[in-house]
Amino acid sequence: MKKSAFFLLIMIVAGCGNPDIQPGMLDGDQIFDPSLNDPSQFLLSVNKPNPNASEAATPVLIMSHGYTATTFEWQEFKDWANINYPTDFFTSQILLGGHGSSYEEFKESSWEDWKVAITDEYETLVEAGYTRISFVGSSTSCALILELIEAGYFSNTLPPENIFFVDPIVLPSSKILSIVGLIGPMLGYIEADNTTEEDQYWYHFRPEKTLRELNKLLRIVRKDLQNGITLPEGTRLKVFKSLKDPTADPVSAVLLYKGIRTSGGELIEVEMIESDLHVYTRLNLRTDVSAKDQANQNSTFQEIATRLGQ
Amino acid sequence: MIIAGTMCWMVNLWSFNCQSQDSKLDVGFRMNKAIGLYLESGFSANYSHHNLFNDRLYFGASYFSSRLGSAMGSNAIKQDNYVVFTSWYFRETKKYRPFLRVNAGYFNSDYESEIFKDLDNSSGIFSFEAGYSRKFLTPLKWAISAGYNLSAGDGTNGSGTLYPIYLQSTLSWNIIAKR
Repeated sequence: MKKSAFFLLIMIVAGCGNPDIQPGMLDGDQIFDPSLNDPSQFLLSVNKPNPNASEAATPVLIMSHGYTATTFEWQEFKDWANINYPTDFFTSQILLGGHGSSYEEFKESSWEDWKVAITDEYETLVEAGYTRISFVGSSTSCALILELIEAGYFSNTLPPENIFFVDPIVLPSSKILSIVGLIGPMLGYIEADNTTEEDQYWYHFRPEKTLRELNKLLRIVRKDLQNGITLPEGTRLKVFKSLKDPTADPVSAVLLYKGIRTSGGELIEVEMIESDLHVYTRLNLRTDVSAKDQANQNSTFQEIATRLGQ
Repeated sequence: MIIAGTMCWMVNLWSFNCQSQDSKLDVGFRMNKAIGLYLESGFSANYSHHNLFNDRLYFGASYFSSRLGSAMGSNAIKQDNYVVFTSWYFRETKKYRPFLRVNAGYFNSDYESEIFKDLDNSSGIFSFEAGYSRKFLTPLKWAISAGYNLSAGDGTNGSGTLYPIYLQSTLSWNIIAKR
């Protein structure tokens, strides 16, 4: 059976009743994202709220995860950077609004709530005096950052130096997401095919309401791209996109390439990655990681680090 | 009264001719809206032979494109659909006629850069439709339908901008109607 029809069937069947949340799942009330308990280990604004002149001039990379994920999604980059570039730049791992806590809290969040974590950290860092701030976003965070750009958020503040998108989503791979508003009443949630270990860091149950929020965000961003988005002056953007991606359709990269220009009217950089993973830079907890996957991750990490120093 | 009576007579005459045992070739303008993505438009032709389930079995072809829709003056992807189809129309003598349709064809999108040369940009089309056709007292016909495309892209195979669920509307004119 065609995947989208199968997915629709699964959604309808799976959505009946309440989610069967197990104790080992992020969805429950026992596991939380660690940044909620100890933000100083994740947020630069909490760890170094008063930078000296040298620290303020050091590049900062705000790392922002995707829909249903947590800070775990960028932990590997942070660990890699701590070993390979311990003093060259700072990292700040944010937790999107509504994420990292219980299913119920996630269910009540909107896409506007999700992006608040990005703007809160950015504003706090700018106010603290940091002058070289960049972003790396994965999946839905890319859409959130684009929406901020289009809404003129960076017009009256320090523009970011670099923006890196890893497997950005503009068009979902499952096209049934586009009718989630129509079939919503039949849905309560859908289930992700996470492993047991991944269930500690990604929601296992995806509330229908948040899927509608995701769809709403993607529709806005797609329209923005159709009309054209211009980056803030001085901001560079590079897109890394898997050639095959079961979550964010690779054609999302085409829409970004066609729809975004630098402030000077130039095309943005896009690199298609020979991978079939969604957010290929996260390899922890994946099964069957190949040498190619490792090479892709290392290459992208290296490029991000190099560009931050330029 | 005389004018009204004359108009009624003319209308009935035309209506009779339109429902006669003649072959039909409806040619017209088609609009297609993928739910969640682009508006496309183009042309359509639909033919029924008087010796082959006259006015019930139709064979047709359509071309529609985002070039004549969402991609006009925007950054939307330019994509083309070439479709042949066969349809069965119910309620032969009625004004409102439900129909079922099976489509097959070819889809192609233009990514406009070598960067995307390894991405699928073409695909076969195989879809089903159900809808209504509205006859008028002239050779004019209006059809609307909803369809489901089995060959939509899923991120790992197929074109990413070929969406599964769509609505279409066709306004056509029977160009071989006798008057």
